[in-house]
Amino acid sequence: MNAIEAYNITQRYGRVTAVDDVSFSVGEGELFGFIGPDGAGKTTLFRIAATLIIPSGGRITLFGLNVVSNFRELRSQIGYMPGRFSLYHDLTVEENLNFYATIFGTTIKENYHLIEPIYKQIEPFKKRQAGRLSGGMKQKLALSCALIHKPRILILDEPTTGVDAVSRTEFWEILAGLKNEGITIIVSTPYMDEALRCDRIALIQEGKLLGIDTPARIRNSYSRKLYAVSHPDRYRLLLALRSLPQVVSPEPFGDSVHVVLRDDADPAEVKRALEGAGLSGAIIAETVPGIEDVFLELMQKEV
Amino acid sequence: MRRLLFLLKKEFRQIVRNPFMLRAIIMVPLLQMLILVPAITFGIKRLDLAVTDNDRSPASRELISKLAGSTFFKTTAAPINIAGAGALLLSGDADLVLIIPNDFSEGLAGMTKPRLQVLVDAVNSTQAMLAWSYLTSVVRDYNMDVVMATGAAPSAIPGINTSPRYWYNPTLNYKHFMLPGVLVILIIAIGLMLAGLNLVKELETGTLEQINVTPIRKWELIISKVIPFFILGLLDLALGLTVGWIAFDIPFEGSILLFFACSAIFLVAVLGMALFFSTLVSNRQQYLFVAFFFTMIFILMSGIFTPSESMPRWAQQFNWINPVAYLMRINRMVMLKGAGFSDIARDMGLLSVLAMGFISLAIRGYRKRA
Repeated sequence: MNAIEAYNITQRYGRVTAVDDVSFSVGEGELFGFIGPDGAGKTTLFRIAATLIIPSGGRITLFGLNVVSNFRELRSQIGYMPGRFSLYHDLTVEENLNFYATIFGTTIKENYHLIEPIYKQIEPFKKRQAGRLSGGMKQKLALSCALIHKPRILILDEPTTGVDAVSRTEFWEILAGLKNEGITIIVSTPYMDEALRCDRIALIQEGKLLGIDTPARIRNSYSRKLYAVSHPDRYRLLLALRSLPQVVSPEPFGDSVHVVLRDDADPAEVKRALEGAGLSGAIIAETVPGIEDVFLELMQKEV
Repeated sequence: MRRLLFLLKKEFRQIVRNPFMLRAIIMVPLLQMLILVPAITFGIKRLDLAVTDNDRSPASRELISKLAGSTFFKTTAAPINIAGAGALLLSGDADLVLIIPNDFSEGLAGMTKPRLQVLVDAVNSTQAMLAWSYLTSVVRDYNMDVVMATGAAPSAIPGINTSPRYWYNPTLNYKHFMLPGVLVILIIAIGLMLAGLNLVKELETGTLEQINVTPIRKWELIISKVIPFFILGLLDLALGLTVGWIAFDIPFEGSILLFFACSAIFLVAVLGMALFFSTLVSNRQQYLFVAFFFTMIFILMSGIFTPSESMPRWAQQFNWINPVAYLMRINRMVMLKGAGFSDIARDMGLLSVLAMGFISLAIRGYRKRA
């Protein structure tokens, strides 16, 4: 049995369609990512899965239980972490955790092994009020609270947004550990680099799924040859590339600019053109497409 | 049931930890009792009376000194012409102007019928009526003196002599009238404002969403919000009553138990209203606006200042669903008249119905949300 089966989920708010005919399934024990920009419909989809809102259309089951009709049984099996920190600011770390444990009829002690790797890091501050924690610590506390009742599935809505790079890496390592415990995890993120850590990812844009696959296959699905162009003066490089007729879509990407060339164009020709524009020493080389490139390509196809 | 216990523990912990909440709970009853009760009075202390004396006779001077000697008036001399007297009223320097015509003493001597003219600033109609009746009572007194000076025995003067006995508030002390009403306002301040804001805060900060994915049931959540503020409300009422007792020596004729029982029912109605309002809004600002708006309507319509019996018919009908009107009436009956259960049973019953109505509205409102 799959952990999640979603069929044709649609959510409308008046004229706006936040989630548009979305179907997917997530296997048990899978780490499944939703990648998409802000406003793509990730949060709405997660709130539907977390039994918080009833979709306008479609059906979604978690472990065979319908999120609308069986919400009561499901709630004890779900660990939900909303995008915004939603624990009690005026309760201490320990009080928050204890509150959620008791509400689910369990104790911190009973499931301590599950949260230990995370909670250990914030335990020195357990007498501190949650509102006075740093962003990374808040996120660890929120995850601990979502885990304390030993859920079968974790629904994490943009858990790493607004968290520093070190904490983000740490967080994904923790998720990998939880996956090894057999917990199914669905997670959303606007960061493309985090997608690589998922078993499978779904690209979502304007409420529609653009594709679902493993990160590697998503990257391989890129249909054209991609080149990375670099030069110390990135700004002038970008301007020059934009003006070249041989170049289709220059996109800044890290230290370089990713470009697709027209079918009849040659990279050496582009290099010459750049040198002619005063950008001598520009390097152009074929590169492996990232998730972001695929995303941009799929978005352009949609348009 | 165990879950409810944990929820309550959390609520009390948060209340105790919130310095604003603690301050509000102590300061609101103190300030309301010590400021509102003595400040709000319809008894009129000193009216500015300007006198235009065109007669300038011993008789007119005697009348003026009688007026000046009464506790109601502060007399000043006014310009002779009527325009000047009007200007005094306009500027607010005088509340009323007495014009003594130049044939006043002649009239008293029996040549003509003696007459006086009074101009009253009637912007505040209650004050104008009182000013007028104070003035006529002094003039009547003066009239009596004049008649007696002619040698007639008081008993020979025809007329009906009424002597009032003021029941339930023999000294016509306005504080006795206001205090039971202010106690009602106190309960609203705690119940409607603090309880409602508490719940809307959970909505606004997202903690409610986190609660909604737990097995906590709606009714458990509602009860966990009602109980703490129910207890706080009654504690505050006791505090307010004690302050009123010590500061103003208010008589308490009826049963304290009955008084608290009625306040408890009212508090449930107010808490139900607070929770219901909180399902209609999405942030604390909106809540404050809604709560403030309804509080004002409920209080002004309740008969706290003006008797609701003299309001238009539709306003009296509105008071059927106004919980404040019920408790306002009950409190005054119990505290001042010593009314017993049978006297207020009808009001108590209707208030209970109202309380259940608001609570069920609140629960229904919450169901819709999730």
